[in-house]
Parts: sequence; C-alpha cells; structure tokens
Amino acid sequence: MSLTDSPAKYGSVAGSETASGPLGRAALRGDGSLKVRGAATYALEQPVEGVLHCVLVQSTIGAGRVAAIDRSAAEAAPGVRLVLDAGNSLTLAPMPDFFGNTPPGDSYVPFAREISFNGELIAAVVADTLEQARAAAALLEVTYEEARSVPTFSDPRAGEGRAVDAMTKEWGEPDAAFAEAPVRIEATYETPREYNLPIEPHGLIVHFEADDRLTIYEPTQWVDGTARNYAGWFGLSFDAVRIVSPFIGGGFGSKAQGLPHSAAAAIAAKMLGRPVKLAVTRPQTFTAYGGRPATRQTLRLGAAADGRLLALDHDAASETSVTGTFTETLGIVTKMMYAVPNLSSRQNVVPVNTVLPGPFRAPGKNPSAFAFECAVDELAVELGMDPVDLRRVNEPDHDFETGKPWSSRRLLKCYDVAGEAFGWAGRNPAPRSMREGRQLIGWGMAVGTHPVYAAPGEATVRLLANGSVEVSSSAIDMGTGTYTILAQTAADVLGVPVEKVTVRLGDSRLGRAPVAGGSQLANLMTAAVHKTALAARDELVTLGLTDPNSPLRDQANTLTVADGRIGASRGGAISVGELLAATGRDHLEVTRDTLPEADRTPEERQRMFSTLAGRGALPDLPVSRHSFCAHFIEVRVDEDFGTIRVSRVVTAFDAGRLYNPKLAESQFKGGIVMGIGMALLEEGVTDPRNGRILSSNLADYRIATNADVPEITTISVGEPDYDATPLGGKAVGELSIVGVAPAIANAVYHATGRRVRSLPIKLDDLL
Amino acid sequence: MASLRSMELEINGAQYALTIEPRVTLLDALRENLGLTGTKKGCDQGQCGACTVHVDGERVLACLTLAVQAEGRSIRTIEGLASKDDTLDAVQQAFIEEDAFQCGYCTPGQIMSAVACIREGHAGSDAEIREFMAGNLCRCGAYNGIVAAVRKAAQRIQGAAA
Ligand code: FES
Ligand code: FES
Repeated sequence: MSLTDSPAKYGSVAGSETASGPLGRAALRGDGSLKVRGAATYALEQPVEGVLHCVLVQSTIGAGRVAAIDRSAAEAAPGVRLVLDAGNSLTLAPMPDFFGNTPPGDSYVPFAREISFNGELIAAVVADTLEQARAAAALLEVTYEEARSVPTFSDPRAGEGRAVDAMTKEWGEPDAAFAEAPVRIEATYETPREYNLPIEPHGLIVHFEADDRLTIYEPTQWVDGTARNYAGWFGLSFDAVRIVSPFIGGGFGSKAQGLPHSAAAAIAAKMLGRPVKLAVTRPQTFTAYGGRPATRQTLRLGAAADGRLLALDHDAASETSVTGTFTETLGIVTKMMYAVPNLSSRQNVVPVNTVLPGPFRAPGKNPSAFAFECAVDELAVELGMDPVDLRRVNEPDHDFETGKPWSSRRLLKCYDVAGEAFGWAGRNPAPRSMREGRQLIGWGMAVGTHPVYAAPGEATVRLLANGSVEVSSSAIDMGTGTYTILAQTAADVLGVPVEKVTVRLGDSRLGRAPVAGGSQLANLMTAAVHKTALAARDELVTLGLTDPNSPLRDQANTLTVADGRIGASRGGAISVGELLAATGRDHLEVTRDTLPEADRTPEERQRMFSTLAGRGALPDLPVSRHSFCAHFIEVRVDEDFGTIRVSRVVTAFDAGRLYNPKLAESQFKGGIVMGIGMALLEEGVTDPRNGRILSSNLADYRIATNADVPEITTISVGEPDYDATPLGGKAVGELSIVGVAPAIANAVYHATGRRVRSLPIKLDDLL
Repeated sequence: MASLRSMELEINGAQYALTIEPRVTLLDALRENLGLTGTKKGCDQGQCGACTVHVDGERVLACLTLAVQAEGRSIRTIEGLASKDDTLDAVQQAFIEEDAFQCGYCTPGQIMSAVACIREGHAGSDAEIREFMAGNLCRCGAYNGIVAAVRKAAQRIQGAAA
C-alpha cells in the first residue's frame, strides 16, 4: 500500500484553489530519464579540459603537531605538479561556518600544523593523473609530535563539557512535580556517531578562468552560500564565483559548508593556473567533515496514575570538537511534543578530539526522539498502559513551549489510521507474548515531528513563443524532487502540461535561493515559482490587452490563459506564441522573490539568500508549525541467535499538502530506511587510543541494504495548511527518520523483554 | 614507476583505444579517460555497487577490476542499455515508473545489477530480489521502489519471452 494507491481516501490535496491542476499529482520524476541512462552529470563528471588531479593527505595522530613534512620524494614522483601543505600554501581570508565558528587569526590555510583530530587535512598532492597523485601522496614523509588525545566523550578525561545557554529552558516546578509524581521513570540513552554517507562522495572541480573569476563544479545543498564562501576566501565579489551543481548524489545535511578539502582544491587550481579535480575518498569522508555527534541523554518523567505527564526533565550532552561548537540540538522538539506542565531541559557540549560534527538528517530531532519516545514507552510499561493511549492522554491542544496554537496537528489521526492499518488492536501487551516458532515477534510504536522552517526564495519564469515554459533558480535537487514539483507548480498556474515546462537549477547564475536544509526548500520554492508564474501570467494578459499590435487588444476586460492559449472567456483565443510573435517578442520573462517588501541594496538582497539572514527577515508567525508522524513497527527476533529483523512498518504522516505524493512517499520511505540502519546497524567506532575512525568504510560502517528493509506502508493524513506555508505544505524531507529508532527499540522490548538504551541494538544486547 | 600501455576496450559494442598505466581501474578508465561517466564511484573499495558493469554478461565491480583485465572482453555500461533508437530497457523504464531512486547516484549500478539479477533467474520473489540486490547500497533508501521495479521488469521480460 502506498500514498498513491488511495489518494482519495487519505492523501487528499483538496481545498487548494489549484487542486485540479498538476500540483499535488503523482507525476513521475522529471529528471528520471537522465538518471536511468547515466546521463545526469554530477560534479566530478563535468567535462573540463586539462584537469589535474588532487589527492588529500590526512593526519594519522589524534592530537599534537606536524613537526615536519618531507615533500621531496613526492615532488620528484612522475607527473607531480604540486605538493601542498601548511608551509607553502596560499593563504585565504577566514570565513565563518553556519554555526558562527571562524578559524582564528586573520588568514586561513586548510592544512593543519596543530592537529586536533585523527584524519585532519595536512597536505595535498596534485598530479597529471589520479594514479600519479595517489602514488605520490603515499611518499610524503610526515613527522609528528604526538600528544594525548581525548577521542570521545566516553573517555573520562573529556569531562562534562560546557552548557549551551540557548538550550536551557524551564517552566513550572519540575523538581517538585517529579518528586510528588505517583509514577516515575528515569533512564539514560545513548546514540553513537553517525555519518551522512551520501553515495556520491564529496569532491569538486575548480577552474579559474581568470585571476579574479572562477567556476566550481561541486555538489552543494546551497549554491548561493557556497558561492559566497569561495568569494570570501579569495576576496572576490559574489558574482565572480560561479557554482554549478545540477545534480547532487545525496547530501543529508553534509553538502552545504565550505570545507577544508574544497579550499585545498581551490588553492591548488589558483597556484597552478590549471583546473583541478579533487575526489575525497570514501574513508576520508569520515573525517573530511563531521556527521552526527554521539549523544547521551537522561530523561526523568513523572506522571499521574491516569498517564498525564506531570514533569519532564531532559539532561542532554553531545560531542563537539576542541576547535569549534556544533550543538546537536537535543531539546529542540522535546518541549513541544506533549502537554507537560512542569519542564526542565538543558544541554552540554563536550569538546573532544574529533572533526567538528555537522548537520545530519533531522539534527537534534532524530536522536532526541530516540531517548524521549523510548522513555514514554518505559512509562507506559510502568503505568500498565497502552503506549498509544498514553500519548493520546498527553496530546497538547497548543504548543506548550511557545504558547501558540498549532497551525495544524493531526497526530491523533495518524494514530487512528496507522494503528488500524497495522492491526495494533491485536497486540498482546506482555513482552515475549507473541511468537512464530523460534521467532519472537515485537510490536512497537513511536512518533516523530519536524518544525516547518521558512526563508525567501527567487525564481525566473520565461514563456516562450513555442508555448513552452522555462523555470529557473539556483535552488537544488538532491533527489528531493525540486525539478519535478517546480515544473508542476508552473504548469499549474500557467495552464500548460507539465511536459511543457523545463526547470533549470543548481547554478549561481540563476535566481537566488537559500539552503536546501531544514526541510524548507520545497515549500519556499513552490511559493516563489507560484508567485512568479502568476506575475508572468499577469504580464501576458496585460500584453494582450494593451499592446498596440496585440490581436486581442480591447476584446475584453480580461483574458484567460489555459492550455497554452490566451483569449477572452467568450470569443477567440490564440496561442501564447502567436501573441508573443504579434507583439514582436520571442519570449516573456519575469523574476520575482518572496522577500518581505522593503527597499534593499543588491548586496543586502544577496546576503538574504547566501547567509542565514533570510530566515530572520520573515515575520514571526502567531502559530506553531510542525509536521508529525506515527510509526508502527514489527520486529522478529531469533530466540537462539538474537538476530533482529524489521518485518513490517506502517507510518502515517501529517506533512500538510503533498506537492507530489509519489515523490513524497519516496522521501518518507527513505527516511524510514535510514532509521532502520540507525536502530540496528550504524555505529561510528573510534580507536580509544588515538581517535582513528575504525569503521571508516561502507563495510565496517553498515548502512541498511535492500535485504534489511521490508515493504513499508506510508499513509498521508495531511491537509493543506495555509497557516504553515503559502501553498499548504509542511516539512517532508527529514520528518520520517524521526521516531523510527525508538519504535524499533520499543518493538525489541516487546519481543524480548530487554530494554536496550544504546544504539545500535545488536544481537549481543539480547543474548 | 608504472609505464604506459596501449589497449583496446570493447564497450557497448564500440572499440575504444586508450593508452594508460596498467594500474588504472576499469572504473577510472571509463570515467576519467573515456568520458563514460554513467558508471559511478561510491567507495572505490568494492563495498557499494555503484560501479557495477557487465563484463561478458556478468556483473562486475569496475572499481575492483583493472582496465587491462577487461581487454578482449565485452563490456557493457549503463550508457549501452537503451536500444539504438534510444528506447529504454525494461529495467530502466520500470525504475522511472516505480520511482526507484532519489538522488540517482546509485541508480546506474542498481540497474546493471537488476538486469543481471533478472537474467540470472533471481527475481522470482521479493525476498529473492532483496537478497540478490543487497550488494548495491542506496543511501536515499529507495529499496522498496527498486524491488517493485525489478519485479515489474522481470514480469514484462518474461511476458515478452513467453
Ligand atoms: S565504487 Fe565500486 S563498489 Fe563502490
Ligand atoms: S538514489 Fe541516492 S543513493 Fe540511491
């Protein structure tokens, strides 16, 4: 069963003025034909003449300093053009990352002298071929002065870390309420380091066409932010840098920052005056940028005998690096999830010798759901209550954190619909009570949520004489479906078939767009294209009514545009092409953005899209906006061997209006698959002696394979939510991973009676 | 160091002459020397399946194969799957219909594996498809769509053969 099987029943998109049009339909992926032919061009496949190949060298100690690098053997190797390290590198201007960390000093070199983690970039080799560069890189003689490292926050020397003020929140009398609560639980939950691991590894081609002008082919979730970063590094204007990123082989949060390897390739290209290609190897990706940090969370829940929550205390910690702060925001959605009258929430970050962690699908929301939703399950057991009933009792009628009403919250409907499709009513609540032969069967459930974020976007719409339409923006599509839904949006407004619309994305020469992160891009870009297409339609009508050469002049008060034709509602219509030809043009082009009205300099406008300033430009809304989902999962545990298989998943989603149910379903299922891996497989393993990542490849760091994943049922209960976003959608991309791991952990408890509070759940936890 | 060597590779029915070092993998020869970038590199270690091609009809990981080893053999890549008039192969078509991908980066390898999986007679049930497609990782998690696409393509191919 799928979203698209029963659109009339649950996946309804009715209520929109354009529901009968292409937007909201299960159109096939517009870029599908290119992808199945191997004809979609990813960054490293761009045909750039005369590229040299750059290979990275990373540190092999966890802390200390590079005493010396002997470059001579590498420099003498065949084909080598340049060996780069901190001693001979061009210097750049330091640029801040998203989180406000800026490299110290007034100049920046991406190669470290002082080592703060194992796998830190220390050198690079550029040669005519990849093989030559790789062989020469192995010839570098590096002498280290090694210091003691503190590789993980499980190391006692890591200490407690420092508090993140923004994560401290308290209301009511949490301590007193907990002390007096008739039913209490307290437990500590842990998640390991997890890695984004898009199947396309990071890499780029840098081409300086002139001293002050460059093109970079690089997979990025944020073309404009990336352009700004390179411009800053090299002291160039934004317009001097062109970023090209039409296809991205997955990102999951990892492809938006200016990373050291990118600077290294750009420096090499600049110093050599030749285009340079750099592919980060798969093992190097584990330290070329950070994934999700390890987390530790202690939850205390106090409840009344009828299940009403009286107190919640959330004490969280996550790792960060010794050089910067990244906060895995563990309290970000735990405070709004249920009706809790007394609450205390706080978080420390603990510096250790690691690469700075970074955003990974549903940062904060995902690991905090593991802790919180397991704790709620434990409370249900303590109360002797069904876990769905316990959640129903605590369903909040408004957001307890902000005091605002919900823009929409259909979580109760999620319980109804998914619970029924799963057959939850047939569950025997006793652990180890359901089995088939030697297989213990467990049924667990948990919920997920994701906030709806918003930012402005910009789009250009061109109507061509042949009746076709072009839509363009620097927004990107990393498999999320942007190409397809923007074509649907324009087709919807302009009354043309989707096939008539061409979409161009991922090029900083096109209209501005913010980061594809926080599950915001679909909503904000459909809104931008919608507004722009409406403006294009209006201009076309004005042209028809007023141009001296228009055959439609003075025929009516207004004209209608549909099926590629324009005319009075009664009377003759002509094709859009005929009107354009008669008025002496071959196209009509309109660009619009969704920035709030204000006078802005071009620099300010550009800043709105290439920094996080755009988000702040939007007015604070009187409603609390979130997507929701409820996962119901069955596991089968082999009684003799402890092996765990996920055998059934049914999830209901409230993500508002779906612009394309088929593509949304793919995203929903993709997040659930990643959640299965998180629950049972994924674990970054670190050498406690020196911080080396022991699982730095796709065999030792295991992600879910096809054989680990059952048929998944997804059901949409969303309704268009125009208080959340202009076209009624809510957050889709990251929502579905949130809550999967706790649903599986709760199912494992139900199957075996074992409560595993540390991910991933392994067979030795059950033996 | 390694000296250059001239060789001829037969790829998708055409002959390609190239002069490369013997240590060049088939994957790098395709992507870096011949401009056939449809075959993807996800790990370069034989762990992800993104580089799957056919050599003499069998699935092979191009990152674990040296180009010289493929001399005198018949190589097929994703670019050679559609027919001469550009009609998509049944598997390619089914992948689009079932939305069996998102980012598309694992997709050429998935499709080359799927073609072989069906030809080998391992598309008999969903469980069998999952098992025989398990060597191709998809981080976007399109596995349900992939199973549906392989099932559908297998049925169409068998229907056409019957
Ligand atoms: S690139 Fe060959 S298996 Fe991954
Ligand atoms: S479609 Fe993205 S990795 Fe498979």
